Amino acid sequence: MRRTVRIGAALAAALVVAGWWLTRPQTISAGDLPVREPDPVAGEAVFWAGGCASCHATPVDGERARGDAKLRLGGGAELDTPYGVFRVPNISPHAADGIGSWSMSDFVNAMQRGVSPQGRHYYPSFPYASYARMSTADVMDLKAFIDTLPEVEGETPDHSLDFPWNLRRGIGLWKRRYLSRIPVVQFDGAAAEVLRGAYLVEGAGHCGECHTPRDRFGGLLAGQWLGGAPAAEGEGKVPNITPAAKTLSGWSAGDISYYLESGFTPEFDTVGGTMVAVQENMAKLTKADRDAIAAYLKSIPPVE
Amino acid sequence: MPDMKIRVPLLLAALAIATSVVADDDPRHVRHELMEGVRDAAKPVGLMLRGEAEFDGEQLMQSLMVWQDAAGQFGGLFPEGTESGMDTEAAPAIWTDRAGFDAALAKWATAVDAAIEAAPDTLEAARPVVGPVFQTCKGCHDNYRISDE
Ligand code: HEC
Ligand code: HEC
Ligand code: HEC
Repeated sequence: MRRTVRIGAALAAALVVAGWWLTRPQTISAGDLPVREPDPVAGEAVFWAGGCASCHATPVDGERARGDAKLRLGGGAELDTPYGVFRVPNISPHAADGIGSWSMSDFVNAMQRGVSPQGRHYYPSFPYASYARMSTADVMDLKAFIDTLPEVEGETPDHSLDFPWNLRRGIGLWKRRYLSRIPVVQFDGAAAEVLRGAYLVEGAGHCGECHTPRDRFGGLLAGQWLGGAPAAEGEGKVPNITPAAKTLSGWSAGDISYYLESGFTPEFDTVGGTMVAVQENMAKLTKADRDAIAAYLKSIPPVE
Repeated sequence: MPDMKIRVPLLLAALAIATSVVADDDPRHVRHELMEGVRDAAKPVGLMLRGEAEFDGEQLMQSLMVWQDAAGQFGGLFPEGTESGMDTEAAPAIWTDRAGFDAALAKWATAVDAAIEAAPDTLEAARPVVGPVFQTCKGCHDNYRISDE
């Protein structure tokens, strides 16, 4: 009897240790970073591709920020999701309230490992599961650009999440399953343009975060990549953008690129909903990058 | 019995007329049709701007006239009581921020008038005056139109 209890206790302890081990944050150290001078000009392009402003720009009069207000990254927007309400933090270069005092490796760990400078896991509502596919060089340039933006004062209140989502440690398990730097779509000898599109869509652009359905743990269903999904916030649907899509199958690559540039569909209706902010960001990329995104969307596996 | 047979189709016909009358006059229906006309006028012009169609100055002027006419009518099509229903995509902000909506409408009308005034006869001349018209479509939708899905 004593013995079984003791074995049970030992097993439980082992499980706790294993659990602790499995859920521990994994980080990159400063020495692992490439030796290079980060380029803030290149970083601006990464900033728009990454859509940081769509979540982190401080809303103006309760509305999403527009124009130059997109560069004030004081946070404060609320993301109302099935798990609870996330409040987007201040990532302006303010030393106390933003990320002004962060080192380069702090930033890379947040963006590509989803780990805070204090070693805590971030929630995947910060789409680092996509950003993990960015190159470390691009992430470094991005930080150099954010460092040039206005310092915004003020911390945002904490998230209000339901149990068990309020326990950050569990995110470690989530990451083991869903955090990967391997490309989603494996191409066999695709053109450089398609691969550039893949890099933008699967990485910084985080298009899959809205256009791909999720399983019950909130992980993206790779088998239905970009196949359309219910909207994460509020009602409504995010359309299928694979070659089998009802609407998009009728668009040429040129139509898609023009939509991302101008916000007009081939019928000359305008882009709507949460895609408006994405499109405004895409308009700031080069035409070559928008064409690459279009070429990629035309090359991925169709999802019915 | 024969009486009954006649009466039913008559009733149905009357009903059809009644509903179609209501639907045709309803501001929600009128403004929807108006915007569809606006969109149809945008397509040939947009294709010119994209370089997918030959520049056609006459077509451009026709489209600009459609927009001028629509801009003149549009503001009167949002009376109280038409905030919802009939799949309207009009945003509540039209009623809560009427001044802002009127300003967006005026911006559109001004851009259209300026393009008509300029009467561009080449693509190069059209771009700088027609571009702002397209920008105002988006600008107004962003604030005053919602998706019906
Ligand atoms: C879809 C919304 C969304 C987008 C887009 C987004 N973020 Fe965030 N971000 C969040 C949320 C929510 C958090 C808070 C996560 C948490 O508390 O676990 C966060 C946290 C962060 C943090 C940690 C801040 C801190 O104080 O610890 C950094 C740094 C950050 N984001 C940078 C970025 C950058 C750079 C981009 C663009 C490449 C970006 N984010 C895009 C939602 C977003
Ligand atoms: C924040 C969520 C979100 C993100 C991120 C997002 N989209 Fe969208 N996207 C939408 C919504 C919602 C629509 C529907 C827009 C509408 O109703 O006008 C849409 C529509 C589209 C369409 C038009 C499809 C159609 O049938 O009308 C294309 C093309 C598209 N997105 C491409 C992209 C690309 C490429 C990216 C990444 C760079 C991306 N989207 C990122 C939400 C998103
Ligand atoms: C001053 C504001 C405003 C301007 C400017 C404007 N629109 Fe609209 N548009 C609206 C509103 C409001 C609706 C929704 C009407 C409704 O459903 O009641 C709408 C609806 C539409 C629709 C949907 C019609 C349908 O089939 O349901 C299209 C397409 C459209 N607009 C195209 C355009 C184009 C193209 C332009 C520019 C040439 C333009 N609009 C300029 C306010 C505007």
